[in-house]
Amino acid sequence: MRSIFHEDWCKKCTEVMDIKKKQLYMLPVLVDHYVSHNDAEYFKKNLIKVDKKADIPAGYYACGIYAYHCPECDYKCVKLSIFLPVRDQEKYEDTIYFENGEMDDFIYNLDIASNY
Amino acid sequence: MEEKIKKINILYLLGYIFGPMAICAICFLISYLYFPKGNGAVILIMGPSLLSIIWWIFGGSQIYKTVTRKFEKELDSKGFNRNQTFYGKGKVVIIDANKGQIGLVFFWNPFKTYIIPASKVSKAWVDDGKGGIGFLEGSSRVSFLFIVDDIKIRVDTFTSNQRFRMDSEYILTGISKADMMVKMIEEARSNCK
Repeated sequence: MRSIFHEDWCKKCTEVMDIKKKQLYMLPVLVDHYVSHNDAEYFKKNLIKVDKKADIPAGYYACGIYAYHCPECDYKCVKLSIFLPVRDQEKYEDTIYFENGEMDDFIYNLDIASNY
Repeated sequence: MEEKIKKINILYLLGYIFGPMAICAICFLISYLYFPKGNGAVILIMGPSLLSIIWWIFGGSQIYKTVTRKFEKELDSKGFNRNQTFYGKGKVVIIDANKGQIGLVFFWNPFKTYIIPASKVSKAWVDDGKGGIGFLEGSSRVSFLFIVDDIKIRVDTFTSNQRFRMDSEYILTGISKADMMVKMIEEARSNCK
């Protein structure tokens, strides 16, 4: 129950999880045209790696990817946080979790992703 | 000499409002003079009145939508690459950033559409409508504006009859759209030869 309110807590043992990887991407979808997707392939195909929020053109969505790992029970998950960067603020749109390693090939091969 | 942009066609505006009134008045007069009672009177009084109401509610928006669709087809046939189209309240702004051209349609001047070089835009900016102080700070209108031929064109990206906090999702979405359009206009300006 407690892990619902703490995104970085393990949902199995409620231990604070380590962030193994963290990266910002641009989602090439225009403002107001975002449609929720739960398919990892969609994100693998469309996400474009960026270094900072300022690299994302106005009116496009951003996606922050966090790869979590629990040091206690070895639970792993990847969180995709989709938001619209607006000047110095962020409008959160969606948060998606992948718990079965669907995004692992993408996030641990960032060089391949950036060459896409 | 190039024609200046006209946001409002006064004749159309007056005709739109007073045209149906004039027709109703003529019909009422005919009814009064020649058909004081019976079916003729009912038709002459009720018919134009109902048609006027329908015209005021739907007429303008139908004309505007039809003209916009026709204009978009015309742009496509001319090789205008519609990079961005914004359907604002009473205004449509279509941008070809690569060629540096902007297409415009106005609700109150639907029979005249414009394709202008982006270099004619002297300034473009965002108005977030921020007002009030402290916990009352907020906005009920976000828009982007640009000046063409010394005429200011304001296109709303968000309007409401309520005031929202500056970090509300509606305001942020409106600012994002307005920022995007201003960036697009500036890009078109820089690409315009």
